[in-house]
Amino acid sequence: MNFRDWNEQQDLTQFLHHEARLLDEHRWDEWQRLFTPDGLYWVPLVHGQTDHLNHASLFCEDALLRSMRARRLEQARAYSQQPPTRTVHVLGNIALESRDDVGCTVRSTFLLLEWRKTEQRTFGGSVLHTLRRAGDGWRIRTKRVDLLNCDAPHEALQVFM
Amino acid sequence: MTIDLQGLVQPDRVHKRVYTDPAIFELEMDRVFGQVWIYIGHESQVPKPGDYFTTRLGREPVMMVRHADGQVHVMFNRCPHKGAKLVPDGSGSAGKFLRCLYHGWTFKCDGSLLSVPLRSGYECTALDLKDPQYGVRKVARVATHRGFVFASLSADGPKLKEFLGGVATSLDNFCDRAPEGEVEVAGGVQRVIQRNNWKIFFENLHDTIHAVATHESSWRAAKEEHEAMPASTPKPFEVVIVDGNGEPLEFWEKLELKGYDHGHGFMEGIFVPPTDPVSLAYVASLEAAKGAKRAEEILRVNRHNTIVYPSCSPHTSFQQIRVIRPLSVDRTLVEIFSFRLKGAPEATFQRTLKYTNIVNSPSSNVMPDDLEAYNRVQEGLGSNGGDWVSMHRAAGRDQPLPGGRGSNGNSEMPSRNMFAAWAGYMGVDTGVKTNEHAGSAK
Repeated sequence: MNFRDWNEQQDLTQFLHHEARLLDEHRWDEWQRLFTPDGLYWVPLVHGQTDHLNHASLFCEDALLRSMRARRLEQARAYSQQPPTRTVHVLGNIALESRDDVGCTVRSTFLLLEWRKTEQRTFGGSVLHTLRRAGDGWRIRTKRVDLLNCDAPHEALQVFM
Repeated sequence: MTIDLQGLVQPDRVHKRVYTDPAIFELEMDRVFGQVWIYIGHESQVPKPGDYFTTRLGREPVMMVRHADGQVHVMFNRCPHKGAKLVPDGSGSAGKFLRCLYHGWTFKCDGSLLSVPLRSGYECTALDLKDPQYGVRKVARVATHRGFVFASLSADGPKLKEFLGGVATSLDNFCDRAPEGEVEVAGGVQRVIQRNNWKIFFENLHDTIHAVATHESSWRAAKEEHEAMPASTPKPFEVVIVDGNGEPLEFWEKLELKGYDHGHGFMEGIFVPPTDPVSLAYVASLEAAKGAKRAEEILRVNRHNTIVYPSCSPHTSFQQIRVIRPLSVDRTLVEIFSFRLKGAPEATFQRTLKYTNIVNSPSSNVMPDDLEAYNRVQEGLGSNGGDWVSMHRAAGRDQPLPGGRGSNGNSEMPSRNMFAAWAGYMGVDTGVKTNEHAGSAK
């Protein structure tokens, strides 16, 4: 599906860029406020996973679990955040998948560099944002991150992707 | 090369080299992982003939395969012709036969040779196709307990039931909790890489007093979450399973720890059986199947981690098995399998997955600080800042039990118990002939 026009493309692209920036700058509270109250942050464990309730995931977080993770990252004695995880997201291939009365679904691809302590990790994959219109802006109903290596053994994944 | 192991394990302390010396790791692969019963997987992972599941038995790549007659075999994943791995790593169906990708040698699913291309080329050669050595090599012994498959690379040693001793009851309770009395692996496998020696993880499984210190970030975050809710909001499951780590040392002190021969043991449950609708519906399903009295007996067996040394840790009340695979002296793979209780409501399994997502997954809200601690231990032990690791806490106070020993929850009995078994397998004289505190590994 094509964007309606340049304005729509800009609007959604800027929203995705803003979201990624909040994560890279550890602005967890602002990031959480981007979600609808029933919003889901989901990183499937296997390729093509269709179910987050009857299959394990890498992340499967509602508002409560997102908030708990954010609070943990900020604790003075979060030893695994000494030093903290640093990230940079690079987004691309932003495309409109579908549009309806309440919102739209946007697909993008990303590269994520993550640095902590001794090693820089590289993640990549695609993201499906299911967005709801909220006034002039957008809210995230579902952020689904499909990692290229979701099915690999991983070391700790501490920050939101 | 001979390695002098003597003196490395004492009744109440161990030398750092047992965690850091690559040569000792190789010896462990021979003397521990090459001898004892190792957990391979659950029969439900290969439900149909031709299904396979691969894993590591010590340093050996092996496959669990179900044969046409329904029997489950554990074999080396190696073609006897040129040595190629017969099935790809992971799980799937091989079809009716195991067919090597390289030259098409074909085997029945019990490993016996079925056919080779150009059979006539082997006439009058030293290769006798009827010789069992041209079938896929089986591991020396395979045995199951309630569907849990174990294998050993050694033809000698205790039978599985004898090996499991007191922790067989944990595997029994794992299955008894299902209204139909059976469990099945479901919902995918989470895999975590740890940068530490495998023994550090095993010791942590029954190290109750690390929780309040190591997991401060987790339990504080969970408590704050609950405090931010409207007053008198019941603690959600997600909070209960995280903030429990913040219980004071007196709480853990009262828990029972049991250690059994061969390094096994279990720890009493830390979560009070919940009374929310999901839990109550599950209890009702168990009572309907088994009667209220039997259901109560089953649920009264409330355990946190069980240790089946040195290969896995079942969690009976949330239906997980963590499988521990040492990769090198300072690298360990932990695979987390979730199980469905057959006959229980769907929501019970969804809770099992919620538990694993929050606690065991690579993205766990609890485990990162564990991994950080294990890694700092590994790095610290590599230094010259000291030679010994202490296991002194509550030494000399263990209570003898049939086939093992018990202690209060804050004792380092489990570590001493595991090292007593380890020393026995490795041939290390601990300098103690009879010492109940050092264990009695055979």
